[in-house]
Amino acid sequence: MTRRVISLNVNGAERSVQVGPLERLIDVLRDELWLKSVKEGCSTGDCGICAVMVDGKLVNSCLMLAAQCDGRRVLTLEGLQNDLTMKRLQGSFIANNAAQCGFCTPAMLMASWDLARHSSKPSTEEVKVAMSGILCRCTGYYQIIDSVKQGCREERR
Amino acid sequence: MSEQVSQLLDSLREKAAKGELLYIGENIARVDSLEKVLGKPVYTADLIPKGTLYAKLFHSSVPHGTIRAMELGAAKAYPGVLGVLTWRDIPGLNQSSAVLPDRQLFAEPVVRSTADILGAVVAETLPAATEAASRVRVEYTPIPANYDPMEALRPDAYKIHPKGNIARQMKIRKGNVEDGFAKSDVIIEKTYKTQFQDATPLEPEVGLAIPEDGGVKVIGSMQSPHHTQAAVAKVIGLPPEKVHVIQAITGGAFGPKSDETPFDVCSTAALAAMKYRRPVFCGLDREDSMVMHTKRHPFVISHKTGVTSDGMLVADESMIVGDTGAYASLGVFVIVRATFHTVGAYEVPNVKADSYLVYTNNTYTGSLRGFGGPQALFAIESQMEELARKLGMDPLEFRLRNMLVPGKKNATSAVMDASCGLPECVEKVVASSNYWEKAARYRDQTGSVRRGLGIALLMHGNSLGPEGNDYGAVHMEIESDGTVSVGTGLTEYGTGAISGLMQVASSILGVPLTRFKLERPDTTKHRESGPTVASRVVVIGGNAAMKAAEKLKGTLMPLAAQMLKASPGDVALVDGVAFDRQNPSATLAWNDLVAEAYRRGLNLKEEGFYMAPAAPWDTESGQGTPYVQYTWGALIAEVEVDTETGYYKVVGVHTAYDVGKAVNPAGVLGQIYGGTVQGLGYAMMEELIHKDGFVVNPNLGDYYIPTSMDIPAEFKAFIVEVPGPLGPFGAKIIAEPPIVLPGPAIRNAVLNATGVSVDELPVTSEKVLMGSKARPSPLAV
Amino acid sequence: MSSVELYSPTDLADALRFIEHKGEEVAVIASGTDLIPRMRKRQVSPSVLLDISSFQSDLRYVRQSDGGVSLGALTTLTDVLESSLFNGKLSVIHEAAEIFGAPQVRNVATVGGNVCSAASSEDLIPVLMALGARLKVISSGGERTVPIKDFVVGKRETALKPSEILAEVRFDYPKGKYWTGFEKLGRRNMLIISLVSMAMRLTLEDDLSTVRSASIALNRVSGRVPALASKTEEFLVGSKLSEKTIVEAQKVLATELALTSDFRSSAAYRMEIAQVYLKRLLLRCSERIRRETE
Repeated sequence: MTRRVISLNVNGAERSVQVGPLERLIDVLRDELWLKSVKEGCSTGDCGICAVMVDGKLVNSCLMLAAQCDGRRVLTLEGLQNDLTMKRLQGSFIANNAAQCGFCTPAMLMASWDLARHSSKPSTEEVKVAMSGILCRCTGYYQIIDSVKQGCREERR
Repeated sequence: MSEQVSQLLDSLREKAAKGELLYIGENIARVDSLEKVLGKPVYTADLIPKGTLYAKLFHSSVPHGTIRAMELGAAKAYPGVLGVLTWRDIPGLNQSSAVLPDRQLFAEPVVRSTADILGAVVAETLPAATEAASRVRVEYTPIPANYDPMEALRPDAYKIHPKGNIARQMKIRKGNVEDGFAKSDVIIEKTYKTQFQDATPLEPEVGLAIPEDGGVKVIGSMQSPHHTQAAVAKVIGLPPEKVHVIQAITGGAFGPKSDETPFDVCSTAALAAMKYRRPVFCGLDREDSMVMHTKRHPFVISHKTGVTSDGMLVADESMIVGDTGAYASLGVFVIVRATFHTVGAYEVPNVKADSYLVYTNNTYTGSLRGFGGPQALFAIESQMEELARKLGMDPLEFRLRNMLVPGKKNATSAVMDASCGLPECVEKVVASSNYWEKAARYRDQTGSVRRGLGIALLMHGNSLGPEGNDYGAVHMEIESDGTVSVGTGLTEYGTGAISGLMQVASSILGVPLTRFKLERPDTTKHRESGPTVASRVVVIGGNAAMKAAEKLKGTLMPLAAQMLKASPGDVALVDGVAFDRQNPSATLAWNDLVAEAYRRGLNLKEEGFYMAPAAPWDTESGQGTPYVQYTWGALIAEVEVDTETGYYKVVGVHTAYDVGKAVNPAGVLGQIYGGTVQGLGYAMMEELIHKDGFVVNPNLGDYYIPTSMDIPAEFKAFIVEVPGPLGPFGAKIIAEPPIVLPGPAIRNAVLNATGVSVDELPVTSEKVLMGSKARPSPLAV
Repeated sequence: MSSVELYSPTDLADALRFIEHKGEEVAVIASGTDLIPRMRKRQVSPSVLLDISSFQSDLRYVRQSDGGVSLGALTTLTDVLESSLFNGKLSVIHEAAEIFGAPQVRNVATVGGNVCSAASSEDLIPVLMALGARLKVISSGGERTVPIKDFVVGKRETALKPSEILAEVRFDYPKGKYWTGFEKLGRRNMLIISLVSMAMRLTLEDDLSTVRSASIALNRVSGRVPALASKTEEFLVGSKLSEKTIVEAQKVLATELALTSDFRSSAAYRMEIAQVYLKRLLLRCSERIRRETE
């Protein structure tokens, strides 16, 4: 298998990594770049736990080949630690008991952050749609929805 | 004294008046929330050091057979592979079973299901291990296989295990059912079936083993570190002290992580680590996990139930058959709980039950939230609905006449006492759902879209009950900077119960939870506390935590009194401030108190141990008190059915649980929401399908768990608090119960909307349209 | 899934040259949302993957031209949802795209990828069939146009030659008084592999009650191919959509097509649903046509 070097911007930093043809974006993020907030839940693109932002769109990193990310901008939860919107969402998640086992939490936060960027007062329905591709087995979604609505609301000043 | 200080002292005095209940009932943020929202690398797969080897398990490709030959050459020769482990590489015992010794780690020579593990490829990378594992070739001599527990029960059926196909039997004999039936005006006989459910924790089972001190350190995703320690030690042939197990933060469990799968991955990783003297990671991907870990037992439950014409239950006879698959696992206890709950939350004077835990060649079943309760209550609550309809009586009215209230006796003849909060639960959901008005309105509907209400009531015996000694230990140490470090062999995997246990300790001590720190469960540091199952953390562990906290308080309060120059009885400790009630301006900060305690060499390390009272019952009659305490609940579901397609939505859920005392209401609600939605999945869409012993849909694209789009638009949850005798402040268990009622409530709601009785879970749109027996013909795989 | 190579061509011409001769062993990959899970499950084992995902300017567009709409093969489902070209009468595409997969999947899954997958479960293919879509297929030797109903030939089988790439999906705006609609049934409300879905384009005569023509497509057809219910379409031409006619049409549907059975549901149930959808779509589309004209 021929490996190749790809260059991508991850969380604001230019990174060069050597990848094999079948290596996926999630493998690069977790194993090369040590960004462990990206989780693997199903390997078939059905659970959304591996969701990250690529060129401004939420995608399942377990289905994207690393080689296809050459030249792209990737954002994970680690890259948003100082982001005000994300901090508000994280605080809201804590206050509303939205993280139980925590395994879906990074993906839920990424999807919520993506929503918050586009909508400062999302309805319950909009929040449900935004997280509709991310499975949670622990919470039943209700406290996550409350967290997102509250976390987005505080956006408006 | 300034205004501010005066206000502060007033508030301290108010809080002090709450005594031990200081922080009980508060929605305090969980201790583990922060690291989770920050996405910290705390799960097992996040902890893999560079240079770790990967072990990939491979499993049987036939459901029943004898291994004739195993060709490992191609696998071994694959680049990056160090070796292939099989039964020959086990220095200790080739065993990996939770209760009965009926299961091996690496099956040999007989395989009894497609989930049977045959060995593991160990390689430098996971892709290499995976590819090599696909090149293992095994030849089997087939043995007749049986996938139907009713068939396997027959005396002439092929014996899957030498002792026969019945792994456990149980009975209930209360009163005399024949007399009861003779007195009955209406008798209904019906059979109900439930399906295999997959727990689907979002983190699959994983373990990491690192050679350490002539033994091995094992870090893994699990519910029971000490059981895992014992299992691994057995396999690698070393004393348990040489196996150091640490539970990593665990991404969901729901049952299978207390059964054999953590033993399998951890033992395999340990074997490889010992052999190759390097760290080894053994993890299951989703497909492996769904094939190999334990599922919920499918049950076939037949009831013959007699009632009088004025709606009083007289007799119930049930036959309860659980398919435990190829190995018994925790099925030996699942069948017990299911049997004790055979008539649910109702008083039936005459009860006869015969239950059988049966081996088949399906993949094996074991622990899953509810543990026999969901199946038992699906059957009895559906039967109650059928009886009500036959009597021409409102289903709620019928239930009210028969439900357990203080003074009535359940199936084991245990008398319900004042701690039975069922009536209050029913009251709450009836009011919230506007039941009477809607039920009347829905009796006269026209059009093809119909609505219906369905009810189910819950009795859920608390904690381990009849399964064995129910104990827990909590270690608590105050560090020199005032941090309260808590350690226990009980585990957190999402429920928030450990935080609840710590909240109890924090309330006793008078120190905010933010000053507490949780140690990772570690077999070298924490005493064995039984498995973390049966929702027992707050009830059993909480009591142990109370004891530890009380001991620490007993050491610190006299010192505080001395330092405040107050008499011991006047000293209160609240929010980390000690003060003299008689002279509140004299205060002492927690850090200063602890520092002084250290200076004086006082002991600030305590352990609390709690064992629940024995739960005695007679094995011949099933009578006695197998449970010391019960959680009660009620759920009313409202559905809207498109009768042309059978497609339906749950438009409303109204549910209440008597939890005795809600230590952390937001946490309790989290369990109610989560458990109900998991129960909704069980009711409507989840079905792990076997065809000829193979799991047809071991992936999340073909096995459907609810998404955010599937949850009811209206969900009203109520916490009822009628203190029980067992838990701290009267607390009862809550983690499991919410999964039980959605199945029957939704089934009954659909029945009331459409007149269609679906007697087999899940209640799919196909069954609603085509009738209960509608089964898709399985694709030839 | 071991010794697979990935070829990232410099431009479209390079890609076409690559598959001109190597075509047989090559699998084209755009988003990978269909291909990668199948490779993991060992359902396919190509030796080379041809990555066309970078040809955004060549192949990703939604354009109105010459009385119709052209969609580049790399147009994502999100692009489709965000386009204003599919509102109202052409909402059949929106209706399908809205419940397609999940947001993260819609953001990368492509129209071309969906068409070329030719999976029995495909929802987009019936929609494009109902719109009478034509596919532009390119190779080093030139290009050709294939009507979609001739493109999808069997379960995961298309008329695409190994040396070809699907470049564009195009359909003309239907003429006259028409409306479109889509219905899908799954076991849950999102991330659904459909049990059965149906797409329709209905055109009425100027009297707003006689059927001029209909395109009715569904998935899960036996032989495992999304297909047009052509006999049902023929039957409806010239009819007035009375209750009686619709019942008759449902019968024609049941006799002309068999649907598949699998572990998710039976053929009998799927046909029951298909018949209900037929009725609902006919009524809904005709109602919308009348309302629009008023």
